[in-house]
Amino acid sequence: MYDLLLFLHVLAAFALVATVVMYTGFALGARWAGLPATLAEVMWAIGGAGTLIFGVWLALYVDGYEIWDGWIIAALVLWAASAETGRRSAVAIGAQPGGDGTVDERAMARWHALRALLVLALLLVMVFKPGA
Amino acid sequence: MTVIAPAIIRPDDWNVALFIHILGAMVVVGSLVLATAYLVGAWRGGSPGSLRLGFRSLLYGAIPGYIVMRIGAEWIYSKEGIADLPEEPDWSGIGYAVADIGLLLLLIATITSGVVARRTAATGRGDDRPGGIGVRVSAALVGIVLVVYVIALWAMTTKPA
Repeated sequence: MYDLLLFLHVLAAFALVATVVMYTGFALGARWAGLPATLAEVMWAIGGAGTLIFGVWLALYVDGYEIWDGWIIAALVLWAASAETGRRSAVAIGAQPGGDGTVDERAMARWHALRALLVLALLLVMVFKPGA
Repeated sequence: MTVIAPAIIRPDDWNVALFIHILGAMVVVGSLVLATAYLVGAWRGGSPGSLRLGFRSLLYGAIPGYIVMRIGAEWIYSKEGIADLPEEPDWSGIGYAVADIGLLLLLIATITSGVVARRTAATGRGDDRPGGIGVRVSAALVGIVLVVYVIALWAMTTKPA
């Protein structure tokens, strides 16, 4: 059970970072349309939900981890912040409702850069597990 | 039943190597997904722009990511002392096999898509057009690499045998 949970958690994390890589391509001038755009949004949704659900499940399942451990709380905060910056990035490019209908590529790039840093910090916390 | 995660008992001085290995692998997979999306778009829609973006995703994303992933892999391999074990674990063998096969397929896909993109830019027609055999081969190879990398991910996380 532990192996399956860990595999699904890491697979979801790969989907999350894949979206960051894809958005980096868009921010650098790659065309935002069609299959790449759809795929980026789907992978962000799957990666976001998967990392959270299987991550919390692991924290509850594994002896030695607690949901209130400092590094797990830090990871949850970073996850929430990256989700919000990702949402703003998608709104700026018109991939999600909430904007005024115009495409603002500079705003997308700005929010995406912040999201990329947050996801990088999230990965650091996951690997180094400070305080664990 | 209680489970103690290997991460709890993993020495701290392995973390930097592991982080580099994972980060490189994530960049490879992200670039492959992006390349697949553009190459499939070029295959189905015949867009030279999509073909060029697919090629660039491989050249500027997947290959550098692969190099970082492989450096991290060798580093963590030496730190874990796997080479000193009497028999190499299956998960390590799977990882190396997938990495080597994946690199070969990645290079073929990058060269093929690059050649077709260059010829398309020069002529804009003929068998080298987007949607031709070269683009189909590149898209298929990148898709295969993605699948085998998911298998490698399974082996790395579950560590069978």
